[in-house]
Amino acid sequence: MCGFSSTASRAGKRKGTRLSNLRQSIGNNSWIELTARWILGLTFIYASAYKIVSPADFAKIVYGYGLFPTGLINLIAIIIPFLELVGGLALLLGFYPRSAAVIINALLLAFITVLSINLIRGHEFDCGCFSAGQSGYFSSPKVAVLREMIYFILGLQVILFGGIRRISIKSLRR
Amino acid sequence: MVNRKTIQEIFILLSISVGLAMLVNFFSPRGIALVGQWDTSQGVITASPSGTEEEKPEEINSVARAMEIFDNGNVLFVDARSQDNYEDGHIPGAISLPVGQFDEQIESLLNRYSSDQPIVTYCSGRTCEDSHDLAQFLSDAGFTNVRIFIDGFPGWEAKGYPIE
Repeated sequence: MCGFSSTASRAGKRKGTRLSNLRQSIGNNSWIELTARWILGLTFIYASAYKIVSPADFAKIVYGYGLFPTGLINLIAIIIPFLELVGGLALLLGFYPRSAAVIINALLLAFITVLSINLIRGHEFDCGCFSAGQSGYFSSPKVAVLREMIYFILGLQVILFGGIRRISIKSLRR
Repeated sequence: MVNRKTIQEIFILLSISVGLAMLVNFFSPRGIALVGQWDTSQGVITASPSGTEEEKPEEINSVARAMEIFDNGNVLFVDARSQDNYEDGHIPGAISLPVGQFDEQIESLLNRYSSDQPIVTYCSGRTCEDSHDLAQFLSDAGFTNVRIFIDGFPGWEAKGYPIE
């Protein structure tokens, strides 16, 4: 009995070590970090573009979520796109990459929360507007939540990465 | 993992973002007001508020008033929504002119109607600005008597008024 349990725990420990090795080799692989950082950076720069060009349309989308006080809708619509742009650029260039990833992941968490709340309560806003219909803004909310969760995991990799970052302004100075 | 230095950096990035956002929004011709008009009981929702609470003479802001105008006849109702929405149901006698296809369709409208033809535009109600855009385009194209029925087709239908 005693022998069996100690064998089992040793096996468990070995397995645990292998798992943590795997986690470490993914978590600390600088090529994976670079890929994650660039995917996130480019995605967020791209995502910010339409919102920056058409803040009024984006404000209407924010209104459509039906979750924010009316006094804050415009401010949200003005500031969020620039958090995406600056966060995305910082990730791409490796300027304060960990901090940029924290901001991007905070945004992702907010998006996931907002989309999930509206999925659960079955709230879908359709203003019947020509412009909103044409901009093709929405994929299915379920797909969007899934996609943002994947981005969130990429962001975690960038945050938790402990090695020297490739092609990064800030890692050159360290 | 997230230490003091990281927090400082986050603060720097946030400041850059907010500063840049305000700057661009202030100077951009497409910038919006810091507080919008998002209360449908006050009128059509929009990111840029009217500023003062001035009367907007071009707006028809009650369904009953729109009905009176409709009953008087001679007024051309123009549906700014998509062709599909129009075909699903519209105000009787209204013509379809989706605001997104204005450029392609304005020519035939100009040929069929004189510039002093009274026109009322509408779309999907107070969450929709398309009727305002369309009214602006029509005025720019030379029509001199254009008004906007802000409760649009949903308001009309909800009152049980005839549709076709």
